[in-house]
Formats: sequence, C-alpha cells, structure tokens
Amino acid sequence: MMALESQAPHWEWYYIALYFFIGGVSAGAYFIGSLIELLGYEKHREVSKAAYRIAFPLICITPVLLIADLGRPERFWHLFFSNGPGSIYTNHTSPLSVGTWALLVYSGMSFLSFLNVQVEDGRLALPALKKVHEMFSRLPHKVYAAIGSFFGFFVAGYTGVLLNTTARPLWAGTDPWIGALFIVSAASTGAAAIALVMARRQALAPDTARSLQTFEQPVMIAELAIIVVMLAVAGRYAVPLLTGLSGVLFLGGAVLLGLLVPLGRQFMARAGTAERDGGVIITSAFILAGSAFLRIALVQAGQS
Amino acid sequence: MNAKGMFVDTSICTGCKACQVACKEWNGLSGEPSHFAKKAGYPYRVANNFSGRSYDNTQNLSATDWRHVRFIEQFNADRSEARWLFASDSCKHCNNAGCLNACPVQAIVRTDLGNVFVKQEVCIGCKYCIPACPYGVISFDQRTGTVHKCTLCNDRIHNGLGTACAKACPTGSIAFGDVPDLKMRADARLVQLKKLGYEKANIYGYDEAGGLNVFYLFLDKPEVYGQPEKPVVPQDRLHISSGVTVAAAIAVAVGAAIAFRERGEKKDKP
Repeated sequence: MMALESQAPHWEWYYIALYFFIGGVSAGAYFIGSLIELLGYEKHREVSKAAYRIAFPLICITPVLLIADLGRPERFWHLFFSNGPGSIYTNHTSPLSVGTWALLVYSGMSFLSFLNVQVEDGRLALPALKKVHEMFSRLPHKVYAAIGSFFGFFVAGYTGVLLNTTARPLWAGTDPWIGALFIVSAASTGAAAIALVMARRQALAPDTARSLQTFEQPVMIAELAIIVVMLAVAGRYAVPLLTGLSGVLFLGGAVLLGLLVPLGRQFMARAGTAERDGGVIITSAFILAGSAFLRIALVQAGQS
Repeated sequence: MNAKGMFVDTSICTGCKACQVACKEWNGLSGEPSHFAKKAGYPYRVANNFSGRSYDNTQNLSATDWRHVRFIEQFNADRSEARWLFASDSCKHCNNAGCLNACPVQAIVRTDLGNVFVKQEVCIGCKYCIPACPYGVISFDQRTGTVHKCTLCNDRIHNGLGTACAKACPTGSIAFGDVPDLKMRADARLVQLKKLGYEKANIYGYDEAGGLNVFYLFLDKPEVYGQPEKPVVPQDRLHISSGVTVAAAIAVAVGAAIAFRERGEKKDKP
C-alpha cells in the first residue's frame, strides 16, 4: 500500500466543523441584518434587530471552540503577534491567518451592532457598556454595519477557502467551490435563524416572513446547484463524502433534511402566503440542522 | 549563499535504514507510539500504524519518523518474480512550501540555507500545515502539542556539517551539499543510468513545488515511489477559490437587496 500523498489534520468535528456552522449562522444573520440597515429598508428594522441579537452571542462561542482545538491553546495569541512584542502578524497566503483577523474585526462590529439594539430597546443597564456605546455612536451606525457586513461575508466564506486551500483529496478536488457553498449556506441559515427567533417571539409579521422566504428559496436552490457542480468537479475524490457515515450526514442530513425538505415545505405552504409561526420554526430548524450536517460531513470526509 | 539540500539516488539504496536510525539518534526522536484500533479478525484493539507484513514497517513519515525508507515490493501471483525498489523519503524542503505558506503564526520559517524549519516555541498546534503539505510530511505530536518534521539537520548544517542521514548512508544514496552541485551530479547519474538501459529513470524535484531542495532519482514513475506526479502547492489555487467565493457573496448581497426591498413603495408612486 502506498502512503497517502497528504495527511489529515485530525481536526475534531465538535470544534472545527461546529465553528464553521456557528460562525456561518452568526455571519449570515449579520450580513442580512446589516445589508437591510445599509440599504435603509426601515420596514424590516425588526429583521435587522433580530439578526444583531443573534450574531454577537453566537460569535462569542467560536473562539472557545477554535482555541480548544489547538495543540497549545495558551499560545493562541501568536495568531496576532509574532516575532517579538508588539509586532502584528498576518500571513496573506494563509486563509487561517487572514480569517483570524477577519473574525476579530467582525466580532467587534457585531458587538457594536448588538449594543445598538440593546440601547434601542432600553435594555442596556451597565454604565461601562453605555459609555462604550456613546463613544462609538459618534460614528454613524452604518459605518460599522458596513465594515461588519464585509467581514461577515468574509467570516462566512473564508472557512470554505481554507478547506479548498489544502492538499487533501476531497478538499482540493472540490476547489474552488466550498467557499461559495459556505457563503450560500450561511445566507440560508442566517435567514433561518432570524425567522426562528422572530417566530418564537411571535414577532414575525407575514410580510417579513414572505421576504425571508423570498430570500431563502433561491439561495437554497443555488446551494443545491453548487453541491451538484462541486461533486461533478471532484469526481472520484468525492467518494468519501458520499459513503459511510459522512455520506449519511451529507446526503441524508444536509441535502435531504437541510435543503429538499425545507424547500418542499415552503412550496407546499399555500401559494403566495408564508408559513405560519409553527411551520417557520420547523422549517428553520431543518435548515439549521442541515447546515451543521453539511459542515460536519465535509470536515470529516476530508480527513478520512 | 547557495541553498543546501540532498540528492537521493534511489538506484543505489539498499534499504538498510541506517538513515532512519541516524536521524532518530541525532534528533533525539522516540519510537513511533502505537495507535491502537479495532481490526477485522481480532477481538482486541491492535496497533494499526505498523504494516506487520513488509520490511516497510512504519509506512509513512510522522512526527517521530522524519525519515522513512519506502520499500516497494512488487511480486507476481506465485511470487516467482519480484522487484524490490527502495527510496529514502523525508521532507523535501520545497522552495514553494505549502506548510510555510499555510502557517498563521510564523512558526514555519526558511533559514538562510534554504531549509524549512519549524520553531517549536512558536507553533500553536493549529494543524493547518498538515493538510497543506502535498507530500504528507509534516505531522502533529500529541505529546508536545506542536508539529514536527525534518529540519535538514538545521543545527548541523549551520555548523558546517552535513545531515545525519547523509553521513550515515553507506552507499552514498543520500548526498548532502549545495543544490547546484547536487543537480550536476544527478544529471550525470541519469545519463549513466539511461545508457545502462534504465529508460524510465527520471529526476524528481527540479520543477515540483517551485523546486525541491531534497530531490530524487527514481527508476520508475514517481507514483511507484508514492510521490505525486504533479504535486500542487495548495496556495497556488488561493486566488481562484477566493474569487469564486467573493462572486457568491456579491450574488447573495444582491439577492438580499431584492428580497427585502420595500414592496409598498412602488404602489405609492403613480
């Protein structure tokens, strides 16, 4: 037997794939919310607010997952500083390095947008945070929505580029499609998370629900299309993704439960009207679970 | 200063593994820990990282095996005919090194002698360099929480010595020196072998991954020796995959702008 041409990194699914998922949901929700704010769609202000309420708490989880997967967690700060004190470091050929910085900027912007929502709702009680909010409110809120939106897309997509930029047969074979796949998947899960949260609070107006669906459906169809193209491009290298446990997660979890079932449910709901709250919650849960399965399957199959 | 490297002439390798031993000795590397796993036909977990059926026992490079003599054992069905090929494999110290390109913390560096070196005190153990190597060289060690690979005997070569493996090699199969000198030697040997009738003989490593500072003379196609015919340095594809991702992001942004546009507005206008 010949040795493999490349070795697997042995990233744990419960750290790395879960980060890809949670980061994707957060970034997806944020770029939807911030785009609505930037375009001045006042009618959908509630969508923006829901997005910001989701984005920041979720992104707070991700550094924990990322640092926990390191062999030397106590050295995580080497990602930002290298070669002596105060020397800031980035490696432009490493998606991991650039992505780390993008994640940092994105976290900051999503924090500021989160503070805005809390102030708007009169829920910000801590004086220290109030001061932070006042300080940053000197800048128009749209400035950090714009920066955050850009880095939100970055956070959603770079993880796919990171997988493509390796020599593992599946990840290299599916190049250059995983980044695009993760972008559309982040978009649909972001919208699903917003719909889920709003429906649970019974704050989902029919008009808003329709807009969210109008956004989700073409995105999910695009996701299916990208998956087909990706598998065609990968050819025999896609075998690990289609067989074994990864195959079940990918075909059964990501494609069937995560895309076909939600699309079917949305089309089955009476034409022209959006699903009701209960339906929205179930459909959104399917979309979210499917996206988690997608990332777990891709991360695990690439390492088998 | 000329880059230092190694020329591995596999045609004169006898598979003695002295290079493996010398490497372990000089670099203070332990034995490969057993990786136990379930195996068909055994009621208990067995070590699955040793072949147990070949002179090639470790099978690949790892965090503790920086050298690996690959045994290519080709037999026909009744084992009346056989061909044995040997090749001592290690890190190739690529001029366009995937691991170095991927490292987010500057733990993997190139020294003035052209060798690619992992700074153990800087590495954070993110493991991203591992899939970035098209040769499957660099590996993670659970015990240190960092990655390890051949350093081209960084300490020796910076003190005027050759690598430990080349020093130990009894047939001269592994030669250490300045890369241009080694290339002249390799070219001459290739001509010699072709004259002797080894038509498939080829040199591997002049163009691959920007040129390998550790390159090989093989008697058969690179695949036979477990080396990729056309290794792709992953970062060479970075621009295209980034471009496609950006295009997808723009499409999604346009989609959002259309889906959430204020529907009422149009009706208000005459």
